[in-house]
Amino acid sequence: MIFYVVRRIFNLVPTFIIATFLAWGIIQAAPGDFASQFAFDQVDPGKAERIRALLGLDNPWYLRYFYWLRNVFLHFDLGTSMTSKASVTALILPLMRNSMVLLLPATALAFAIAIPIGVYSALNKYSLADRVLTIFSLLGLAVPNFFLALILLAFAVQWFHAYHWFLLPTGGMTSSHFSSFSSWHQIIDVGWHLIGPVIVVTLSSLAFVSRVMRGEMLEVLSQDYIRTARSKGLSERAVNVKHGLRNAILVIVAIIGSTLPGLVSGAGSVEYVTGWPGITPLFIKSIFAQDVYVVMALLTILTLLLMLGNLISDLALALIDPRIRY
Amino acid sequence: MADATTGTHTERGRGPREAVQGASLTTIAWQQFKKHPMARVALVILGILYFLAAFADFFAPYPEHDINPNATFEPPTAVHFLDAQGHLSWPYIYGQKKSIDMQTFESVWTVDTTHAYKLRFFVHRSGVRDRYVPFPVNVIPVQLRHVLGIRPWASLHLFGVADAAGQAKIHLLGTDDLGADVFGKLMFGARISLTVGILASIVAIAIGMLMGGIAGFYGGWIDELILRFVEALSAIPDLFLLLTLSAIFYPLHLPSTTQFMVIIVALSVIGWGTTARAVRGQVLSLRERDFTVAAQALGASNTRVITRHLLPQTLSFVIVSLSIQIPGYTLAESVLSFFGLGVQPPSTSWGLMLSTAQSFAGVTGLTDRWWIFTPGVAIFVAVLTWNLLGDGLRDAFDPKSRR
Repeated sequence: MIFYVVRRIFNLVPTFIIATFLAWGIIQAAPGDFASQFAFDQVDPGKAERIRALLGLDNPWYLRYFYWLRNVFLHFDLGTSMTSKASVTALILPLMRNSMVLLLPATALAFAIAIPIGVYSALNKYSLADRVLTIFSLLGLAVPNFFLALILLAFAVQWFHAYHWFLLPTGGMTSSHFSSFSSWHQIIDVGWHLIGPVIVVTLSSLAFVSRVMRGEMLEVLSQDYIRTARSKGLSERAVNVKHGLRNAILVIVAIIGSTLPGLVSGAGSVEYVTGWPGITPLFIKSIFAQDVYVVMALLTILTLLLMLGNLISDLALALIDPRIRY
Repeated sequence: MADATTGTHTERGRGPREAVQGASLTTIAWQQFKKHPMARVALVILGILYFLAAFADFFAPYPEHDINPNATFEPPTAVHFLDAQGHLSWPYIYGQKKSIDMQTFESVWTVDTTHAYKLRFFVHRSGVRDRYVPFPVNVIPVQLRHVLGIRPWASLHLFGVADAAGQAKIHLLGTDDLGADVFGKLMFGARISLTVGILASIVAIAIGMLMGGIAGFYGGWIDELILRFVEALSAIPDLFLLLTLSAIFYPLHLPSTTQFMVIIVALSVIGWGTTARAVRGQVLSLRERDFTVAAQALGASNTRVITRHLLPQTLSFVIVSLSIQIPGYTLAESVLSFFGLGVQPPSTSWGLMLSTAQSFAGVTGLTDRWWIFTPGVAIFVAVLTWNLLGDGLRDAFDPKSRR
């Protein structure tokens, strides 16, 4: 097992390097750079060139990739933001934390609701409840979640106009005067701001996960060993849980790693709409400002997250599924 | 062996003399597809949507880039069918007047019932700005049309109101922040929103099949190279890769046709990997089959074997993955345009229209300017119907998913 883990991790290194090189190439392919905005400075015509030299932007792009890679691996340094002049790590970490505050409850909630729904649908195939749930998941798959977030936001405003108190906040992660609150009050305040975004992110992944679960459960229930289990006289419950669910749940383990980036992306547009101070608003802002190190750092971290997510999924699968040999 | 047994079984069921009808792939697919009522409904709805998009100039009451700074956020015009006495009458509308609420400084629209404007059908408008190039000529790029000397134009609109002074305008879904007719804009936006998905998935699948075909057929280091590349590409989360890709072209301020192609290319760069992997797997197994070996033994070139023997075998797969990928790309385009990195004004798409709603939703709430949210509903309907159609097509072409 340990050998397998080590081999898998070593396998990730070339992928990581190619992926980051690719990302770097794409970022650098954009015409102009951060210094371009000073190119037509009337007072100081040489400003753009000086800034370029100062930031090292006058080196060829592939060379700068290797500098970047060296700094990441040797010093864990993701560079300095050109717009805010702060270290990218310091800039990103609190935003990463904010994103996780939104993402983790939403993911947990989505899986906690979707698995029972999927199982129930599969066990009562083509029943009324199954049909209703199927329709709902079809509808859920078709709603863009930034639109759902917009509706929710507009609803919050609407409620305030009608009753002059806030049922849900109209965006952001904290109220004004947040720093003057007691710590309990702060937690409640963040939780209150969390309700809307979590609902949207959960709903949008709920449909997908429950459909996967339903499909897999149906697949498992049609296997021969289920018939065997029934014919040897096991109770329906034992058949469904011990032989059905325990096999079907494997697919959830397998997809949980790869759904994570989808969730990050999905949560991204929700963050953008509701003004949640996560990584996506920063990403958008940095892309427009051509703040390449911030863009690169976010891409790198998300890539790493995706690769680790897949790795953990695979390892967990290898651990619990005795059929997988390593 | 299993096939043979089931074959005789059905023959026996049909009676001894009746011959078994051979059915082509498309016949079987159509028979299977007909079993999906939802997919058929979806097909009809999609047909209507594409028809509206194609003839948007005709169905929209006003020209594509018609804006009016004095009529921003005008509420939808109500069409009346009953006159003041309650009798059925020819449909007519009332004009709307804007005034400023001196307490909130918000513009308030009131219906002006002094004069009724009759609704007219098949309206010709004489103004030069009202002329448009009808479908399908407008699909040809402008430059090419000039070179070829094709300059047809039309000025016919399905409906409109008769008014010389242009006081009353009909806006079935109100106007947006620029005073443009939302109902018309929805149809003009559909041109981009509805075609991006199809074109992007065609490009993605073409690249994917080519690369997957090469990887699977040649194997060795080429296979390794392509696989590594696909793996690296898929390791970067889609949305962020898409945003980064589109950002390359953002500073160039490209003309709208080029920008449209950029979006398609960006979307297909994200998506070809999955197809490549799947095709590679299929080719790997097909390569060892007897007919491939036979073709090679007969002296067929590699290109011929790939294009004539291997790729046609993956036809069902292509149709199914096309229909599955289209709604995803449609959604992706809307997100991209919503973030401001996709379609650029004056072109429009549903995602871009919603970014207007984004800037005003936090102020007005749901009921005040509800019509600016309608593009979201349009995206929803398009994605839903494509999903349903995709399900139907998958069952029609993929024997394994039939129930």
